[in-house]
This record gives sequence, structure tokens and C-alpha cells, in this order.
Amino acid sequence: MELLLANHSSYPRIGDDPDQQLLRRTITQRDKGEKDDADVHAAEDRLTEQALAEQSAARLDVVTDGLVRWYDPISHLAGQLAGVRINGLLRFFDTNTYFRQPIVQARPQRTTPLLVDELKFAQARSSQPVKMVLTGPYTLARHSMEASDGAGGFTEVLEAYTEALAEEVGALAAAGAGWIQVDEPSLLKQPGDISLVERSLHALAARKGSAQLALSVYFGDPAPIYDRLQALPVDLLVLDFTYSPHLVETVATRGAGKTLGLGLIDGRNTRLEDPARVVRQLEKIAMGTKSGRAWLTPSCGLEYLPRDRARKKLHHLAAIKKTFLGSAA
Amino acid sequence: MSRAKLEQLGIELPLFPTTSVGSFPKPDFLMKARGDFAKKLISRADLERVERQATEFWIRQQEKLGVDVLVDGEMYRGDMVAYFAENLEGFEIGGLVRSYGNRYYHKPIINGEVRWKGPITVDWWKYAQSLTGKPVKGMLTGAYTVMDWSFIESYPGRRAATLALAREIRKEVEALIQAGAKIIQIDEPAVSVRPEELPVAIEAMHVTTDGLAAYFITHICYGAFEHIYPEMLKLPVDNFDLEMSNSGLDLLALFQKQPYTKDISFGVVDVHTHLVEAESLVEQRLRQALETLPKEAIWVDPDCGLKTRTVDEAIAKMQALVHVAQGLRH
Repeated sequence: MELLLANHSSYPRIGDDPDQQLLRRTITQRDKGEKDDADVHAAEDRLTEQALAEQSAARLDVVTDGLVRWYDPISHLAGQLAGVRINGLLRFFDTNTYFRQPIVQARPQRTTPLLVDELKFAQARSSQPVKMVLTGPYTLARHSMEASDGAGGFTEVLEAYTEALAEEVGALAAAGAGWIQVDEPSLLKQPGDISLVERSLHALAARKGSAQLALSVYFGDPAPIYDRLQALPVDLLVLDFTYSPHLVETVATRGAGKTLGLGLIDGRNTRLEDPARVVRQLEKIAMGTKSGRAWLTPSCGLEYLPRDRARKKLHHLAAIKKTFLGSAA
Repeated sequence: MSRAKLEQLGIELPLFPTTSVGSFPKPDFLMKARGDFAKKLISRADLERVERQATEFWIRQQEKLGVDVLVDGEMYRGDMVAYFAENLEGFEIGGLVRSYGNRYYHKPIINGEVRWKGPITVDWWKYAQSLTGKPVKGMLTGAYTVMDWSFIESYPGRRAATLALAREIRKEVEALIQAGAKIIQIDEPAVSVRPEELPVAIEAMHVTTDGLAAYFITHICYGAFEHIYPEMLKLPVDNFDLEMSNSGLDLLALFQKQPYTKDISFGVVDVHTHLVEAESLVEQRLRQALETLPKEAIWVDPDCGLKTRTVDEAIAKMQALVHVAQGLRH
């Protein structure tokens, strides 16, 4: 089985070195009136370059821009849409991190590109393909609250987010994105809603042009809906293996018609996985994989880890691949 | 039921006892001292002297307000988990991780065998109690929350790490009891986050408290209570200190479906707004509580720690709740 190495999505925006604290420092200075938004954007640029360089040094095949400019996974996208106001903090799943909740006041509409500039910036500075990440319409809708005079019920909000993100998928594809990953962690909390996610993905897939579309589900166990996930209109299915004791067995037994992103490396814990154990998991999965190719990736974004540990996790991917190829030879 | 336990412990409290969740804002003089200490301009002993001064400030304030069960205000703590991680063996303080926006914190890493080296909070409790004749709560963070807010490297899983922590935190509980503490609060704000792990938190609380002679309170906030209620009542504590106001008292609806069976420290002021609630609003919240809960079971406090408010706001919020509780007693 051919193994590609990829970052999942986010990368820490801070580290222990003063240079790695540039963004925090600049935002604090901006808030005190000592710097302005242009300074913050310059710091974000610098941190994005660092994130790209660290992924490249870890010999990843596919990188991301580290989502360095994102305030959080929800408000960064929803907050750019007309009809949406950003409100107070709520906990993001079972992480000890928080997002700002969108309040839907009118039907959400995309009036401006959301991530196209971020794509162009990263593409110009990376020799590896850049994967763009979108928090999916279903997860955005599940984390939003409708104002009493808002845009109808949940289904209407989901449809509006879907339409807005489908436009963005089209714009990213037109700008040359090779890979677009749609994150839908909320699906694993309400797996009975998979038909809603399927419908929404069809709308996004219709706009993807020559880009490849990935779906990533995490922060839960995908095993119970594994067969349904295999039928979704995406080119790559990225799975979090850290919540499920049975997922490796499920994949090995049921097989995989789609290329899989194997989130076998825990993006939420600092402990480095035993390479021999991961290789055994890869060997099992390889037996059922039809595409002859898989991606090895962290289970979720790496911003939950300190910078030094996130970097080690990325380098660990390459070490595991080397062991895997050695065992396969 | 729990009132009888308090009496057995020799504590007499009025109807609607007033208290606070634990933390108070650090006064400016302490913030300056912490800044000076970080810049190595003053020594650890100098800082501790100022922390004691700030502790005395809050004890005096609470007495002046007429609070019934006092706290030391946690003037010596930065973070409720890192503080214990720094004082237990088996931890390394990890690099910075993001909490939200531009806020970051050092998340502990459990990388060895967790071990209690000796009393952590006991001297602070003794000092605070020496300043007042009213009972002062012992204040700890529970094993499940310490585990959940740390990385785990040296234990095979979350349950194993939680139970190891529970055994060691029990030693701190025993030390507090030996020093004279009779009311001990063990905060578990993380238990509402992974409902499927509630049994682990319950098991850990048993390990920490079973057979020990104290009135136990646990504080839980900002989570999906609908997924852990009524199961959470199996946590072996006498009193749940709950955030009620921020969520529009919606927990009362749950209590109407499944009876609430313990004492409750009922959050009547929101700690996430600068606005100081009018006493009429606080009274309205308490009267709503009385429609569902027996008056003997209700303690009155803020939703959560007040450390994010200004000193003036914290005092004003406490004043509002004390006035209302005292008024309702009659």
C-alpha cells in the first residue's frame, strides 16, 4: 500500500521561542492600540510560513496553511457570511478550547471569498500540494443559533451554509486548490443525520471542478456508520481512530473502496505512538484497501498540542512510514 | 439529610447559606506583585506575602458582606489544574496551547507516576480559617478534571490516570480534614463534557471521599447537563454547586422531570457579564428555585468563580446575593 503523509488541518500558532510568539504579541499590541490590523496580518503571514516550513521539514506529502488565521473552526467561516453575527464563547466538543457562536439573523450568504487569499498565500510558499480545510455546513449549522427572527429552522440554515460553502469550493477549485477537506465532526455526535450530510456533500462535490474533495470526521467513533461513509460523494475519507477500539478491525473487515485518511496518530495527546503498533494497524487496514493508497495523518488538527509536540508528531509520521515500508519490503 | 451531616460536623448554618464558588479577582496590588515576580524583581517569599495580604482582603470582604461559608479566594493560584500539577509528582508543565482567540495556557503533561508529595492547599486553608470564625471551604480540583485537562503519557488510559489522581488527591482531602476543614469542595467542571465517562468520574470521587468525615461539595459548570442528569447524582457528594443563571435556570426543568436529591449551591448571578444583577432579578431566580427544590437544600452563590470580574463587580454581585438570601430567610 502506498502511504502519503499529510497534516490534518490546524497547526499551533504559538511556541516557546519568542519568534513563535509573534502573533500573540502583535494581537495584544493591536488591542492596546500600539499596532494595527496590517501588523497582525503580517504576523499571521510569518506564522503561516513557519507552519509550512515545519511541515515541509517533516517531509509531508500534503500540507495545510495551519489555519493560523482562524479565530476558531466555526466563526472564521460563519463570521464572514452576511446574515450572521458572532456571539459569545462555547466549548468546542470535548476539547478545553472555545469557539464563538454564530447567531443566524438572516439567511447566511457568501458575499466575498472566504479562503481564496489564504490558499494563494500558502501555494506561493509551499513546494508541496496545499490542502484547504473547510468546516462543513452541517457542523457550522449545529454550532449556530438562530435568532428568533432568523433564517427559518435548522434545515434552512444548513441549506444556506451548504450553498455558501459550495460557492467557496468552486472558488477554491478555480484558484487551483488540489485538495479541499470538509470537516464534519458533528456528524459523529448525531450519526442519524448522515443523509443531511450526504445531501450537503453532493452540493459541494458538484462545484469541486478538478479539485479532490475529502471528508474528515473526528472527535467520535465512525465505526457504526462506516459503510454509509464509504458511499458519500468524496474522493478521500479521513477517519479519527483514537475514539474507537474497533475501527481498525471494521476497516480491515469491511474493506475500503475509497482512499482513506488514517488518523492513527493522536492529535489530542502528546504521547508518541508505538511505531510497531501503528505498523500492525496499517498492515491490517492495507489488506482491505482497494485503492492501493492511503494517507497517514493526525486524528485531528494539531493546535491542541504544544508546538514542540506537534512538530514531533509530524516527524513521527515519517518514522512510522519508514518502518512500514521496511516491514513491507 | 445533608443538613444533619453538617450538624454532626458541628456546623450550624442559616436557611439559604451564602457562599462563593472559589476564586475572586486578584487585587491590583497582587497583579503587580505577580508581574514583578515573573520579571524576577521580587522573590517567591515577597510574592507569598502579598498573596497572604490579598487573601486577608477577601476574607474581610466576605465577613463584611455577611457571607456564611467563606473561601480563601485562590490568590495563590493561576490555573485550577496547573496549580495541582505543579505541586504533585508525575507532571511536567507542557508548552502553550490555545484556549480561545489569543488566550493560551500551559497544559500539564502526566509523564510519571502521580504522587502527593505533601500538603498543597492546607497552609492556605489554615491561614484563611485563622482570620475568621466562620467556616472556610477547603478547595480542590477533582481527579477527572485534572486528568481531562492534562496530556497523558505515563498511564495506559484516561480511567487509569483518573483513578491514580483520585488516590493522591484523597491524601490532600485527608490533610485538610486533619487540619480542621469540615466543608470541602472538589471541583469537577469537566465531568459534563464526555457523558460516557461519567462513571469514571463517579468512581474517582468515591476513591477520593469514601469514609471521610466532611461535607463534600462539587462544582460543575458550562456543560451538557441534559446528558449526565440524573446519573450525576451518583457522584458521592452532599452538594452540587451549579451554574444556573447563565443558562436561564434551564436545569430546573430537568429537576422537575427527575427529582433532585441533594443540596445545591444555586448560581444566582452570572459571572460572565460585567452587569451587576438587580436584587429583584436575584430574588426572582431564587423564588423560581423554590418552586422545584426544598428550601432546606438551597445554598446561594454565583454561577462560577468570580476571578474574571473586577474587584468591585465581584463585591457587588456577592452583595446582591447575600441581601436577597438574608431577606428570604424571614
